[in-house]
Amino acid sequence: MDKVKNTEQLKALQSALRKDAEEAASRKVIIKVAMATCSIASGAKPVLDFFTEEMPRQPLEFIIKSTGCTGFCHSEPTVEVTLPGKDPVMFGHVDVKKATEIVNDYIKGGKPVAGTVEVSRS
Amino acid sequence: MKAQQLKIALRNCGVIDPEDIQDYIANEGYLALASCLSGPREAVIETIKKSGLRGRGGAGFSTGTKWEFAAKPESDKKYVVCNADEGDPGAFMDRAVLEGDPHSVLEAMAICGYAIGADEGYIYIRAEYPLAIKRLHIAIAQAEEAGLLGENVMNTGFNFKIKLKYGAGAFVCGEETALIKSMEGNRGEPVSKPPFPATKGYRGKPTNVNNVETFANVAAIINRGADWFSSIGTEKSKGTKVFALAGKVKKVGLVEVPMGTTLRELVYDIGGGILGDKQFQAVQTGGPSGGCLTVKHLDTPIDYESLVAAGSMMGSGGMIVMDEDDCMVAVAQFYLDFTVEESCGKCVPCREGNKALYSILNKITHGHGTMQDLDRLKELSAVIKGASLCALGQTAPNPVLSTINNFYDDYVQHVVDKKCRAKKCRALIQYRVVEENCIGCGACKRACPADAITGEIKQKHFIDQEKCIKCGACHQKCKFSAIAID
Amino acid sequence: MTCSVNQQMINEKIVEICSEFKNDPDELIAILHKAQGHFGFLPSEVQQAVADQLHIPVSKVFGVVTFYSYFTMEPKGKYPISICMGTACYVKGAEKVLHEFESKLKIKNGQTTTDGRFSLNTLRCIGACGLAPVVMIGEKVYGGVKPEDAGKIISEYPA
Repeated sequence: MDKVKNTEQLKALQSALRKDAEEAASRKVIIKVAMATCSIASGAKPVLDFFTEEMPRQPLEFIIKSTGCTGFCHSEPTVEVTLPGKDPVMFGHVDVKKATEIVNDYIKGGKPVAGTVEVSRS
Repeated sequence: MKAQQLKIALRNCGVIDPEDIQDYIANEGYLALASCLSGPREAVIETIKKSGLRGRGGAGFSTGTKWEFAAKPESDKKYVVCNADEGDPGAFMDRAVLEGDPHSVLEAMAICGYAIGADEGYIYIRAEYPLAIKRLHIAIAQAEEAGLLGENVMNTGFNFKIKLKYGAGAFVCGEETALIKSMEGNRGEPVSKPPFPATKGYRGKPTNVNNVETFANVAAIINRGADWFSSIGTEKSKGTKVFALAGKVKKVGLVEVPMGTTLRELVYDIGGGILGDKQFQAVQTGGPSGGCLTVKHLDTPIDYESLVAAGSMMGSGGMIVMDEDDCMVAVAQFYLDFTVEESCGKCVPCREGNKALYSILNKITHGHGTMQDLDRLKELSAVIKGASLCALGQTAPNPVLSTINNFYDDYVQHVVDKKCRAKKCRALIQYRVVEENCIGCGACKRACPADAITGEIKQKHFIDQEKCIKCGACHQKCKFSAIAID
Repeated sequence: MTCSVNQQMINEKIVEICSEFKNDPDELIAILHKAQGHFGFLPSEVQQAVADQLHIPVSKVFGVVTFYSYFTMEPKGKYPISICMGTACYVKGAEKVLHEFESKLKIKNGQTTTDGRFSLNTLRCIGACGLAPVVMIGEKVYGGVKPEDAGKIISEYPA
């Protein structure tokens, strides 16, 4: 990334990145895999690897991101999936088997998969 | 209506990729720094003071006032230090911020540097956090590459470099003077204050030390305004607090709630209640420096003053939930065991006093305590609190005082009846075969490492109390509820 | 276990490590971390070399090594096992997990197996309290560990 030369440039960069993100969210599936210490200890790495290998094989556009702690240590590994135009859904206790269901049933089929985590935020 | 979380310090955790600075920038990253650099330093300090932000490491001192103290002295060199030594057992708030949103800390340190006149910052981080260390290194490199840290930040002429310093497993280094000693390559032994680090800190220069979570609030305050922040929370405790909810609660995890949320809301609404729907007994806040809050405190609003009035303290945010199966006398002993090991040894009240406290508690949990011992615990605690050099010693007796005040009957039962209500203190319990339930399967006999169980197959079994080492293996193995603990 | 590395090799390595930190005595802790990472432990020969290179008394180096629980003057095992004894792990039964590891490895807390494969220590909170009880082997974190998991975990680490 080039050096930011001043505040205006920083604001312009922020604006451009936000616009890209909004545009991407309107047509891409966004998959966020929590990769904090608790997540990794619970087995999040194989889940991240699975999505990284599996999603390119699917006929849809996607973004995979690793994030930090979601705070849901009781349900790690957690994966948040946002389908275009829909609210994010947080899945808990995700292993490769459940990740496969998430891809086949929820992402491709729009059908619910059991074991979501309630996210209540104001 | 159920209590809700409000994420300020944790605003980006679980949302952005901590290893991609562009993700941080897309979420208002470094805008606060840019805004500060375009105005006078004093305005930054005024904003932080006006917001009411107080130190989130446990002491709760006004952050803006602390920055003002460090800004005052004329000096050729000043330092900003981030205390990332999070040593309270049961606390992982800072780890989450450092692993999930490291740039929020870097940006805030740079803002602080500008405000007080420092061009160098250090993050003192415990060695037990390798992932946080890795992500901080990546974040610092990315920020320097982007001209947002280092020389001539955003062409303003402001320089600010950040480096890491590592802890090596010493809880006392969470105390700011001990931390500074450790940064200088010494044993982490605290020194008396005054002088405070703001006048004489790292390498003898004015130094501002703040906790990770304190810093994590700064950019949000600058971006959204002091009035916004001070509209959240209570009269004297503004904003939110991150808590690490752990122990016997259904939804163990990290939560951030407005100050003033009650303990009941935290444990039941957000935490989902007690594991196995058992009885709530206590919540330990403030780690080894804090105390237990009990059933009668469930409707206490969580803020700095209320927790102290209830016999505990905010601490860094660790909140361990205990149920009916926990022995509060054993918990006090557990904390003293920790404090004795972690005491730096410099001052007699802490070094010898806490050892004596531990020794008395050990006597009590092993069935040799007396009523005089309970008086001795209180007397000793008062002396240690009054005479110790630093906060480690001064707060070490808190778990003892808090449990003796709230669970006096349990202490009396230990010393008079030689019994442990929670059946946790090994010396005070006995394992016994419940004959009417025993089918003679032999599982307990096979599990016993001390050959203390006798009995033939399909015959009632028997535990020899002389040989029994009270490991509980038989109780774990028995599927017929035929082993009782008395 | 005798240290088979000779003093010259120690000195060369210590010169290299210290110069990375510009021979700054303030960086003693970072230097000792690196030295322990290389040698596995910090015997008196290593401490003397550090003291000489930084021009500080060896008593100061010894004082720092013995103060901080991360540093050890005894060799650790190839696979150092750390059982977290933080409050959250304690209330979830960490003591029983520790006893099971002691029993399976036939060593006590603070000791190393005779073949040098495993050493056993307790740690005070690594901040993974959501997964209590927690065990660390090297940098790998195991969560929700029950006493009966000890055998399976140990078998993941070959001789």
